[in-house]
Amino acid sequence: MRHVYTPVIGLEIHVQLATESKLFCPCSTDYIGAEPNTNVCPVCLGLPGALPTLNARAVELAVRAAMGLSCEIHDGTIFHRKHYFYADLPKAYQVSQYDRPLADRGELYISGDGGSPKRIGITRLHLEEDAGKLVHSAADGRLEGARESYADFNRGGVPLAEIVSDPDIGSPREAREYVSALRRLVRYLGVSDGDMDRGSMRVDANVSVVKSNADTGEILYRGDRAEIKNMNSLRSVERALEYEIRRQRATLESGGTLERETRHWNDGEGVTTSMRSKEAALDYRCLPDPDLGPIEVSREMLDAIRSSLPEMPWEREARFIGDYSLSEVDAAVLVETPALADYYERCVRSGASPLRASNWVRTEVLRVLNERGVGIEECPVRPEELGLLVSMLDEGRASTTVAKEIFGLMVDRGLSLQEATDRCGAHGGLSQEDLELAAKSVLDANPDVLAEIMGGRDLKGKKRKFICGLVMKETRGRATPGAVEDVIARFLEGME
Amino acid sequence: MQLSMTAAETARRVSEGELRPLETVDVFMKTAREREPNLHALLAVLEERAGHAAERLDASLSRGEGPGPLSGVPVVLDDGICVRGTPTTCASRMLEGWIAPYDSAASEMLDSSGAIICAKGNMDEFSIGCSTETSAFGATANPCDPGRVPGGSAGGCAAAVAAGYAPLALACDTGGSLLQPASYCGVYGLRPTYGLVSRWGVAALAPSMDQLGILSRTVEDAALALSVISGHDPRDAMSSPGDRPDYMAAVAVPDGKDARRPLAGRRIATVAEMRGGSDLAGACREALDRTLAMLAEAGAELVEVHLPLSFNHGLACYQVLLAAEASSSLARFDGVRHGLSAEADSLNSLYLGTRGKGFGREVKRVAAAGTYILGSDRYEDCYLRASNVRRRIVGELLDALAGCDLIALPTTPTTAFRRGEFDGDYFGMSLSLSFTVQASLAGLPALSFNAAGAGELPAGVQLIAPRRGEAGLLAAAAAIERVRASRDEAGERRSER
Repeated sequence: MRHVYTPVIGLEIHVQLATESKLFCPCSTDYIGAEPNTNVCPVCLGLPGALPTLNARAVELAVRAAMGLSCEIHDGTIFHRKHYFYADLPKAYQVSQYDRPLADRGELYISGDGGSPKRIGITRLHLEEDAGKLVHSAADGRLEGARESYADFNRGGVPLAEIVSDPDIGSPREAREYVSALRRLVRYLGVSDGDMDRGSMRVDANVSVVKSNADTGEILYRGDRAEIKNMNSLRSVERALEYEIRRQRATLESGGTLERETRHWNDGEGVTTSMRSKEAALDYRCLPDPDLGPIEVSREMLDAIRSSLPEMPWEREARFIGDYSLSEVDAAVLVETPALADYYERCVRSGASPLRASNWVRTEVLRVLNERGVGIEECPVRPEELGLLVSMLDEGRASTTVAKEIFGLMVDRGLSLQEATDRCGAHGGLSQEDLELAAKSVLDANPDVLAEIMGGRDLKGKKRKFICGLVMKETRGRATPGAVEDVIARFLEGME
Repeated sequence: MQLSMTAAETARRVSEGELRPLETVDVFMKTAREREPNLHALLAVLEERAGHAAERLDASLSRGEGPGPLSGVPVVLDDGICVRGTPTTCASRMLEGWIAPYDSAASEMLDSSGAIICAKGNMDEFSIGCSTETSAFGATANPCDPGRVPGGSAGGCAAAVAAGYAPLALACDTGGSLLQPASYCGVYGLRPTYGLVSRWGVAALAPSMDQLGILSRTVEDAALALSVISGHDPRDAMSSPGDRPDYMAAVAVPDGKDARRPLAGRRIATVAEMRGGSDLAGACREALDRTLAMLAEAGAELVEVHLPLSFNHGLACYQVLLAAEASSSLARFDGVRHGLSAEADSLNSLYLGTRGKGFGREVKRVAAAGTYILGSDRYEDCYLRASNVRRRIVGELLDALAGCDLIALPTTPTTAFRRGEFDGDYFGMSLSLSFTVQASLAGLPALSFNAAGAGELPAGVQLIAPRRGEAGLLAAAAAIERVRASRDEAGERRSER
C-alpha cells in the first residue's frame, strides 16, 4: 500500500498595531532603540494600585483589520487575564481575549499551490497586550548559559491583534503566501507596519501531518499538532515548516507517533527542537478582567471605519490588470505596498504609458531602493518626474540609454528631471551633425547592404532596420530610434 | 483642640483662621504618640509630609487663597493606598520598604482639598483577613476594649478614628473590610457605590468589589469626605460618570414641616431571613431594633423584604470570587520589579523564595485557593458558578430595592471578637462578613453606624441603598443621629431633674 502524507497548517500571527500609545496606558509604543525601561509607567509596570484604561485607537485598528479580513465583529466582547509567571510579564498575567474574541469567522484569499486563488478561513482576531523583553548576557542572547538577565518593559503593553487562521494552509509555500498576503493587508489598512524583522508581525504555526492511503484516500493516521515558534521572516516560516513536515513524516514512516508539543525553530541550524510537551502545557487560569469593561463597538463606529477603508490590495491588483493591461505577476509586485502602488499610479497619471512605467518602477526604482535599503517613500525620484521621463521614451524624445542616464543623475546627484535632461543635452547631447556623421560612416562601411536596399530587395525592411541598429550602436545608444530612422531615410532619399 | 473635633469643625476653624494647620497636625502627632504603644493602629506616621502640607496650606491661606473643604483636617489612609514618596506596604513583608512612586486619586483629591495626610493605617495583609491580625507588622487593638480586635482589614484606620487621632480615614472595602471594623470600633463607615470613587492607586484585592470608603465619627464628616473623593476618574475604567448630588445638603438639618419627621414617605426594609437567625448576637439584634425605632420616629415606614439567596449563599459566593480575583491581583508580586526579592539562582526559585517569604499564611491560603478555583478543569464548577450566583444575588437585591428606599440590617452578627479567638479558623472568622458581602457583590452603597446601647461594646447597623443612593443613606443616618441626640438631651434633662 502506498501512503501519502498531507500537511495541515494553521497560523497564529501577532500583529503589532500602529498606535502611538500602549493598549492600556499613555506610554509610547516606540520602543525600538529606546533606552531600556524609559517608556514605562505604573500601569505597564504593574505597580500596586495601577489600573488599565483601554486605548480606543487600538480597538479601531483591530476593527479595521477585522473588516479587511471580512470577519464578523462583535460588540461587547471582554478581556480576560491569562496567568503565567515570567520575568517579562509585569502583572504575571497578560490581558488578552479568551472565549469571546473581538472578531471571528473571516477569510483571506491567497495564491494557492494549484495556481488559483485559495480561501484561508480566519478563526478569530482578538486584542491583547505584548510582554516586555528579556535580554540575556549569554553570547547568543538566549537564556541558556546566561549568567544575568535583564528585563526591559518598554514593549510591555504594546497593543497586538492576534489573528488565528483555520487549518486551511496546505504547504509551506501557502503559509508563506498567507503571511505575505496578511502583511500586505495590514499595510494597506494602515493598522501595522507589518515588518517581521522589527517584530511587528510574529508568526507561530500549528502543523500536523495526515497519513492516508494513496489509492483510496482513506485517512490512516492523524498526527497531533506541533506548535512552532520563533520564525522571524517569510523565509524562516517556509523553511521551518518544510523541516517540521519532513520531521513529522519521517517519524511516522519509521513507525513513531506524534504528540502535541511546542517546538522552537532554530534558524541557524535549520531545525526545530522541542520546548515543552502537552503534559507541561500551561494552565493559564483565565479570569474575566474585573478592571476592564466590555469593548464597545457601536454601529456608528463600524460605519465610520468602514467608510474610511482604502481600496483593498486584491481590488487594486485586479484594477491594475484590467486598467493597465499588466500581467498578474507584475501587478502583484506593484501592489505589494500601498505606497509603491501609489507611486506607480502617480507615474502613470503624469503621462507615462502604463506598461513602460511598470517596467521602470519594477526594475530601475526597486533596484535603487534595494541598493539604498530604503522604502518607496524615500525614493530620490518623484513619481511625477519619472512619469515625464518615461513619456519622453514613449514619445521617442529620448533613447533608453539616455533615459537611464538621466534617471541615474536624478538618483545620484539629486537633480530634477529638467536639470538632469539639460546636463545630458537634447537627444542626449548628440547634435544633428554627429548623427549624420554616424549614419554616413555606417553606410560607407556597409556598401553591400546599402546596395540591397537601394536595389529594392529589402522587402521586409530588415536591412534598413539593421542599418538603423548599427547607427544606434555608433552613437552608443544616445540617439533615439526615431531620429536615426529620419536621418537614414534622408540619406537614402538623397541617393535615389 | 479636643479629640472630638470633627472634620467639618476643623476645616471651618482653619478656614476662618482660628486654628492653624500645624496645630491640627501637632494634635494628631501627640495623640498618636500617646496611644500608639497600646493600639498599634498605624504602620507609618508621615510627620514630615504632613508638616510640609500644613506649611503649604498655611502659606496659601495667608495669601488669601480660598480654603478647601477639608482644610487642615488630619486624615489616615490604609496602607494599600499609594501616597507618592511614602512607604506603602499593604501590611506585607512583600512590600516592606517599597516607596510608592505615584499618588492615588484619593491622595491627590485629599491634598487639593486641604486635608493633611498624616499616617498610613494598619490592616490585614493585602486586606486578607477580618481582624487586622494578619498584618505582617503586628495586630491592632480595639480602642474600646484592647483585648478585642478592631476588625479588618481596615482595623488600623477604624481604630485611629475611634481613638481620636483623626476625624477621617479612607480605606478600601472589599467584602466588609471597612464596614465591619466601623461596626467593631463604633464609628461611621461608608462604602460608596462601586465606581463612584476612583480606585486609582489603591492596591487591588478583588477588583470587581474593591471600593474606597470613608471612616468618620460623624455622618456630616462622611458626607464632607464623600464630596471630596467621589467623581469620575478616567484612569479607573470602572469609575462611572454622572452627576453627584449635594451630599452636604443630605445631612443638613431639615427645616419647616419636615424637621420632626425627615424620613416621612421613606420605606425602609428589614430582611426577613435575619429574623430568628440564631447566629445573631443579642447586642446586634437590639442595635437593629433600636435603630428601627428611631427610623420610625423620624417618619420612615418600615417594611420587610426577602433575600434568601443573598443571605444563604452570599458569603460562599463571595469567598470563591474573592479567592479567584485575589490570586490574580497578588500574582504580580514575583520579586522581579518591586518589593521583596529573594536570593535565587533561577527564575523559579526567585518566585518560590520571594512569594514563600513575602506572603503570610492567610495570603498564601487565599492565593492557593484562587489558583485552584481558576484551574481550567474547575473554572466552570467554581468560578463560573459563583459568578452566576452573584448575578442572581444582584438581581435579588435590586428587586428588593425597587420596592423600598433602604434596607436596614446589623453590620455584623456579633460585636468585636477577642484577639486570637479565631486563630487558624478562617471560616469562623469570615462569618463576621455575613451581612456585608451582599452590598459588595452588588456594588451597592452601604453605611454603617454605631447603634449600641450606652456603655456597651460598639454594634453597627448598616443601611444599604440602590446604586448611587448615598444621599439617601446619609440623610437617614443624619436623621438617626439627630433622634439619638435629642433623646440623649432628654435623658440628660431627666437625670438633672
